[in-house]
Amino acid sequence: MQKLQKQILGFGALWSLFLFSFPVQTMAAVVLDDDDKAEESEEEKETWVYLEGGDVYTGTGAFLRGAGILCHDEKIEAIGYDIVVPEEAEVLNIKGYSVYPGLIALSSRGLFGGSGSLEYSVDPFSDNMLLAVASGITVAVQGDEVGRLNRGRIDGIVVGKQSFSTMSYSLSNPGGRKSLRIKFDGAEAYLRELRTWENEVKSNKDLKEPKKSGVDSNTLKVLQGTARAMFRADSQQDLLAIAQLAQRYGFRPVIQGCREGWIVAAELGRAGATAIVQARERRNKSENLVRPGGASIENAAILHRHGVQVAVVPASTGISMGGIVGRDIMHMPVEAAFAVRGGLPEDVAIASMTQVPARLLGLEHRLGTIEVGKDADLIITDGDLLHYKTFVQWSVVGGRMVYDKEAELYLAHIRPRPVEEIAPEEPVVPGERDEEIIETPEEEADPPEETPEDPPAEEPPPADGGGDPPPPAPEDPPVDPPKEGSGKGDGSSAIHR
Amino acid sequence: MLSLTLSLTPRTRSYCEWVGRLMMLTMLLMAAAPTMAAHPGDLLAIRARHLMTGSGETLEHAVLLLEDGKIVIVGEDLPIERGIPVLELDEDQWVVPGLVNCYTRYGMRASGYSDLRPNMKAVDELSLSRWSSISGMVRFGVTTAGIYPAGRGIPGQATVVCTSPGGSTSELLSELVMRETAYLKAIVGNTSTGKRYLRDGFNEADKWLEKEAKNREKYDKDKEKIEKEKDKDKKKEKLAELGEYKPLPPSAKGQAFLDLRANKISLLASINKSADYLHFLDALGEEEVDWDLRLPLSSECDIYHVKDKIAESGARIIVEPMITLQRATLRQRNLPAELQRAGAKLVLVPRRDSAMDDWFRDVGVMVGAGLDRDVALRAMTLEPADLLGVADQVGSLEAGKEANLIVLSGDPFEANTKIVAVMARGRIAYGEDEL
Repeated sequence: MQKLQKQILGFGALWSLFLFSFPVQTMAAVVLDDDDKAEESEEEKETWVYLEGGDVYTGTGAFLRGAGILCHDEKIEAIGYDIVVPEEAEVLNIKGYSVYPGLIALSSRGLFGGSGSLEYSVDPFSDNMLLAVASGITVAVQGDEVGRLNRGRIDGIVVGKQSFSTMSYSLSNPGGRKSLRIKFDGAEAYLRELRTWENEVKSNKDLKEPKKSGVDSNTLKVLQGTARAMFRADSQQDLLAIAQLAQRYGFRPVIQGCREGWIVAAELGRAGATAIVQARERRNKSENLVRPGGASIENAAILHRHGVQVAVVPASTGISMGGIVGRDIMHMPVEAAFAVRGGLPEDVAIASMTQVPARLLGLEHRLGTIEVGKDADLIITDGDLLHYKTFVQWSVVGGRMVYDKEAELYLAHIRPRPVEEIAPEEPVVPGERDEEIIETPEEEADPPEETPEDPPAEEPPPADGGGDPPPPAPEDPPVDPPKEGSGKGDGSSAIHR
Repeated sequence: MLSLTLSLTPRTRSYCEWVGRLMMLTMLLMAAAPTMAAHPGDLLAIRARHLMTGSGETLEHAVLLLEDGKIVIVGEDLPIERGIPVLELDEDQWVVPGLVNCYTRYGMRASGYSDLRPNMKAVDELSLSRWSSISGMVRFGVTTAGIYPAGRGIPGQATVVCTSPGGSTSELLSELVMRETAYLKAIVGNTSTGKRYLRDGFNEADKWLEKEAKNREKYDKDKEKIEKEKDKDKKKEKLAELGEYKPLPPSAKGQAFLDLRANKISLLASINKSADYLHFLDALGEEEVDWDLRLPLSSECDIYHVKDKIAESGARIIVEPMITLQRATLRQRNLPAELQRAGAKLVLVPRRDSAMDDWFRDVGVMVGAGLDRDVALRAMTLEPADLLGVADQVGSLEAGKEANLIVLSGDPFEANTKIVAVMARGRIAYGEDEL
């Protein structure tokens, strides 16, 4: 299976060599690397986790009710019904709960419990990591590393590197704008020379490769497609300028903030932009201007309608128990729900926390949706992810159960899971119960006629009602039957008592 | 042979003492006249109502026989040969082994560095003039101490000493130092530096090995060339010139890590939390070295996450006797007891060097909170002795070991118990007047 996958991937890599240039090729190489790592970890110990009977929101358009998900090591092995589950699998019955892909925090502070490079600094037992997982995050970006919230472990923490070329292109800094354009010109010219050289060197081997010196590496990466250009811009003029720049040089910008994006959404959409927005941002327009301006709750919706990919982030990228509570990284779904309030379709709102960030990080082949072969980063909620009342009940990160709301200190006391879910009732064969329910009223109805075995006949009802006190039973029958006789069954009467 | 059963009123006790001293005196006189010596050497018997051996046993009516500062035999109700001086202890007094504080800088000065200095040794800081302060530990019952080098990062190697003040000025430092190098201290946390130092250290060792291999190769080649030489005289001459193979002097930093690999010393990793433990294992990688853990307990320490793993590793863990709080709550935890119950080898050290006089009391609190008594004493004696690699000499009251012991006024873990006297290497080092 692994080998087959590898072959397919290898084939993919070849394919992309022909079809596209550089970027895709490097991407395929990355995929192969990851597979090698997965193989190494398999040697240690296989882990199987089976989530049984949940309502699975895959993120690919499907919503599977009562489906199972089988995770094998780090990956999703199977999704659907009638899955063969290996004996050693850890099985969790999540009937009535929903499964979503794990959320991805595009930027974060302190979720990994340390500072500096993840490999050295992660504290997988830290409270912050617990709280992040409790709020549905499974993967987060810290610094330039993409890390997985692998609670309790320090291996396999780094999923990849984020590759943004941060740029500034603001009207308030005309000099900076000009120099950025010059850099792009330079990079463009270099690429053009490189392409002609590549064509001509086949016939003339003595030709020298064009020199790379003096070419700005950031812009070059953007034009080559190995990095996305990241801008921080809010005003419509800046956004418009970025859109024009992107179209002029042929790249797709990522725009953080994008407050007035709803005014220039069409242009941004045409430029293939991705916007990272805060749905709850509030800023009035400048009253000196006649044209529209300021923040809008419809921002995300309007941007989406014009083809801009939207990632929703909260105001604070850290976990704050103080001032900004409710608008920190623990409340990504709430933030996205505000975008829904402004008109963003719900599936897009969920994608804004899963698929879109995965795509931005170049990891959409591993993260963002629930699909076979992707990383097993799943969250199990007690309702609609976008509802403010919803809690993450369990989390699977990297194929392991890392969070159970009831078992952790912080949120266990808030709306605990119903008791029967924690300790399910003794399984009862449906037929048996029905018979008893039908029989008992009859026996109770005419005790005087078939008296000889009265005491034993009296026994079943208490047993049925969960060990209710027997004393009143002999007196009750003559009075009660008319009330219960209409077929409500003994079960309901037991509850009344 | 006689077996005395004395009524233990103070008067009889002082009587016995008097008799004992008299006997000792006569013994000394006898020793002067070899032909008359009934008992060779410096024999002394101690009779104690309660005695904890440190290795897990509690003896009632115990008798200890000491000779030349060593324990000859320990047992219950042993007969004592006539003529051997007997030290009779009070009914309510207890005897326990001299404590082993394996992680201390009591009486030491000097601050250390905070980078990779595995070649530093605590023994270099020691001197006889320093002994007046180091031997101050004796009055807290500490007869053996592991003195670690100051500093952070990988500051160097610890030294094991006997804290006995030494009877005469002629006592040499070398007699007091039991092991020059016992463990290499390394502070590892979830920061890049600690982890890197450890890796750098092993790399240093690898580099030297590589160089050494090359050097050896070169020597062998040279020798081969000479062997081919036909002229015998020339050959001899050249061989003499070449001489025996001399290994390269190992780099100072690499040497410590080579010693680690050769299990000459062990590694003591100082960690603060569960994450640090994982990072330490990660930094250690495939290296097969002896290692133990030092965990300064803080109020919200979260080591319980990995207690089973620590137990599984078989490493000893040095902690303070301290009740901690569950994170973000006021719920109390007895982490030392939890670690021990999980199966980890527990070593207890005083909360601070300046709080050494509270050591027994602090451990008593842990015992009151569920730590096993025998384990608690073992964690102050035999286990640290084992960690320091001197368990064959000290750490418990067993035959063949040094006569390091403490006489306590009562149960070791009762709050009002006091140290009556301390014996180090058979000599009463503290509280002579009390006996």
